Amino acid sequence: MPSADVVVIGAGLAGLTAAIAAAESGARVQVLAKGHAATHWGPGGIDIAGIPAAATPRDGIRLLAAQPGHPYAILGDDVAEALEWIRPLLAAGGAEYLGDLDTPHQPVATSIGGTRWAAILPAGQAAARAPWSPGERLVVCGVAGFKDFWPEAIAASLSRERLWEGGTRPAAVTPISVALPGLDARHNLNGLEIAHRFDDLAWRTKAIEAMARAIDAVPGSGGRVAMPAVLGIRQHVDVLAALQRRLPAAVFEMPLVPPSVPGMRLYEALRAALLRAGGRVQIGEMVERVEHDGRRVTAVVSAAAVRTYTVRTGAAVIATGGIAGGGLVAERDGRLREVLLELSVEAPPADEWLAVDAFDPAGHPLEKAGIRTDAELRPVAADGAVLFDNVRVTGSMLAGQRSVRDRCGDGVALTSGWRAGRSLHAVPAGHTAEPGSERP
Amino acid sequence: MTIAELITEASERAVGYSSDECLKCNVCVTVCPVARVTDLFPGPKYVGPQAQRFRTGRAQPVQVPGIAVAKSPDVTVDWCSGCGWCTTACPAGVKIAEMNSQSRARMKAGKRPKLRDWGLGQTDLVGRMGVLFSPITNRVLFNGPIRTVMERTVGIHRDAPFPKFGKRTLQSTWKRRQKRRGPRPLPGPDQAVVYFHGCSANYYEQHVADAAIAILKRNGFETIIPEQVCCGLPMISNALYADARKKARTNIDALVGYARQGYKIIGTSTSCTHTIKAEYHEMLDVHDEDATLVANATWDICEFLLDLHDQGKLDTRFGRLDEDLPYHAPCQLRSHGIGLPAMDLFALVPGLRAADMDHDCCGIAGTYGMKKEKYPIAMAVGAPLFEKIRATGAPEAACDSETCRWQIEKATGTRTRHPIEILLQAYRAYDETPTSGSRPVVTAQS
Repeated sequence: MPSADVVVIGAGLAGLTAAIAAAESGARVQVLAKGHAATHWGPGGIDIAGIPAAATPRDGIRLLAAQPGHPYAILGDDVAEALEWIRPLLAAGGAEYLGDLDTPHQPVATSIGGTRWAAILPAGQAAARAPWSPGERLVVCGVAGFKDFWPEAIAASLSRERLWEGGTRPAAVTPISVALPGLDARHNLNGLEIAHRFDDLAWRTKAIEAMARAIDAVPGSGGRVAMPAVLGIRQHVDVLAALQRRLPAAVFEMPLVPPSVPGMRLYEALRAALLRAGGRVQIGEMVERVEHDGRRVTAVVSAAAVRTYTVRTGAAVIATGGIAGGGLVAERDGRLREVLLELSVEAPPADEWLAVDAFDPAGHPLEKAGIRTDAELRPVAADGAVLFDNVRVTGSMLAGQRSVRDRCGDGVALTSGWRAGRSLHAVPAGHTAEPGSERP
Repeated sequence: MTIAELITEASERAVGYSSDECLKCNVCVTVCPVARVTDLFPGPKYVGPQAQRFRTGRAQPVQVPGIAVAKSPDVTVDWCSGCGWCTTACPAGVKIAEMNSQSRARMKAGKRPKLRDWGLGQTDLVGRMGVLFSPITNRVLFNGPIRTVMERTVGIHRDAPFPKFGKRTLQSTWKRRQKRRGPRPLPGPDQAVVYFHGCSANYYEQHVADAAIAILKRNGFETIIPEQVCCGLPMISNALYADARKKARTNIDALVGYARQGYKIIGTSTSCTHTIKAEYHEMLDVHDEDATLVANATWDICEFLLDLHDQGKLDTRFGRLDEDLPYHAPCQLRSHGIGLPAMDLFALVPGLRAADMDHDCCGIAGTYGMKKEKYPIAMAVGAPLFEKIRATGAPEAACDSETCRWQIEKATGTRTRHPIEILLQAYRAYDETPTSGSRPVVTAQS
């Protein structure tokens, strides 16, 4: 039976961040996850607090932290430090992020022709954010035959003035479609397949030339160019640089429906940082339960072929992704259950689960459901008593946030992961050294 | 419908109907090693849960009165290598790889299999014939012009990695050895284990069996080798489900008596042990009590040794092996869900610098990469792994699965061994160290 100082359950932004932080502090870290998820679904940005009332992320943190029970009430002061800590780690893995807590929120054009309020973006998306100068034009450049990105529809939609409230907007939006080598005959093309091709130098040289010629032909171009987020995976930095060298316009990627290529880059950069720090990641491990002795967890048990796989551990991080990630499940008796440790879940009673208005600006009653913790992110009971000393709860598992609606999920995940990982380094050695866990 | 049919139908649902859980999130597509390198395979989602809605539980596609029987929507499923990464990465628990294997079998059901695919499934037949005529077969298999002819006629790629046939089978060697020793009482399940050698150790790599027997002996276990046949995985991979079920039945019948008495069944091939543990049940619909007993008793050898270590029963007196050892974790090992036991065992050997090469798949996927049309895909899938292994400059590498070892060895020129061969070497290094006392050198013959 293997052993670790820290077992992290979940491999999203919160779990991997916690794992990296713990491993950097010298802990032997094992990540167990049932599969990939949040990173591969999301747009790959780091949204801290993209609420309309907030001019900057810092502003948003302040507003959210004032809400009763929001995770930023205990994490808000650490967001800046966590962000600056993760930034070089991600950059080292080819995922550079631009923007900080004082970068103004701007409307950023999306691939369904909408806008979203964002500040901190991957380098490949950052050019979408800066204010538009008067007369500056946008070319939306699609790939012929690629059905996840419709330049005409995007351009028509982005021409609507009301989408850009609170910011400046392009003077004109022009759609074009470019046939890229070898893709025209494909009937089942997804963004990932195009991204793999961009990783190939010979192919991308031809593709970039074809795109550049089509963009050059648009009258009055020279402003910015939006492209689907398919500009390479492993070679993304080089692809972007090559495009910028060839084009007079600033290029930005628009994230697409899953599989999210920018999200995969984020995952790969996080994973690489964890491996560099000496941690391990195992995907495909469906954790069934966490064993404990009183208030201390002792082992994490996952399903294996015909038997179970047990990792003895000095501490556990619950990064199981809330309702969407499967960390919380609804029982027939109208109760939300935390699946690993039966932690006490803060949630409205079942008769309040059905919202009358699907688009109610106040949100859905279940959005804020989750686990209540103390300032150390240890889970607590309804009366505030700590349930487990060596457990930390992170990311979407934390109660009190509307992670999607308030665009605070990435900031909460990053900061809670960072704090959880660092705090577990401080677990006394006598507790981490379970029988048989001696370092080989 | 009979009760038996109902049960079969229901169990097929376990895999087939897991498509109901699919969110269409495409995570499976992001991890598919084959889709990464070729356009021929659109990816596991498209041929798996997405195409599943056009399939019924039975062999025939959906029939609509007045409309000609629709063609199967999933001919490209044949490009799936069966590595299983899609199932591993799926956050919703969809059995994608299993679904794809079943649909391939259904697609090919009732048609005569290609001679090549049939032949690649018949590992016992090929193995027996190959060993019987081994001086000739080995010369033929390593002869360039003959391989070119084989590629043109049979469709097995001329450069596909092949092992050398042994001079005799492990079974015959073992029987002779037993005969020489004379009748002895069978030790109890705490002093003996059953060895499932698989085709590789039986026909090609007896040195792996020798290492397993020596290591088990060193740790206090006699080895029992009952008569057994191919686990059936090559047949599953080549859509020969009916043949695979026969192999499964033969093995279960041969092993269940031991399982019932509490003997553990230890295998040195991660793919064979995974087939017995999971695929008899999931893929072949063999669900009886005997099958469950055998599955529950089955262990991968590194999993077993690590479990011994956990109980404080593993002989950890390993000698020093001062070397870099690149390690590749085979796809089937991941499907076991047991972590990387070989890496944990390597960590017990002083001086050994084992490094997980951290690459998804070597490409071979059993017999996939041996096929003419799939060989280039297999090589492209494994290319980054080969590059990493070559870059270490290490004289040898380790991997738990035989076809992966052959693939890596052929592609990199680096000798590639089973982890237990490395461990045995470490035991021998201990025995040969003057300070370690007067322990006799353990050999496979002892």
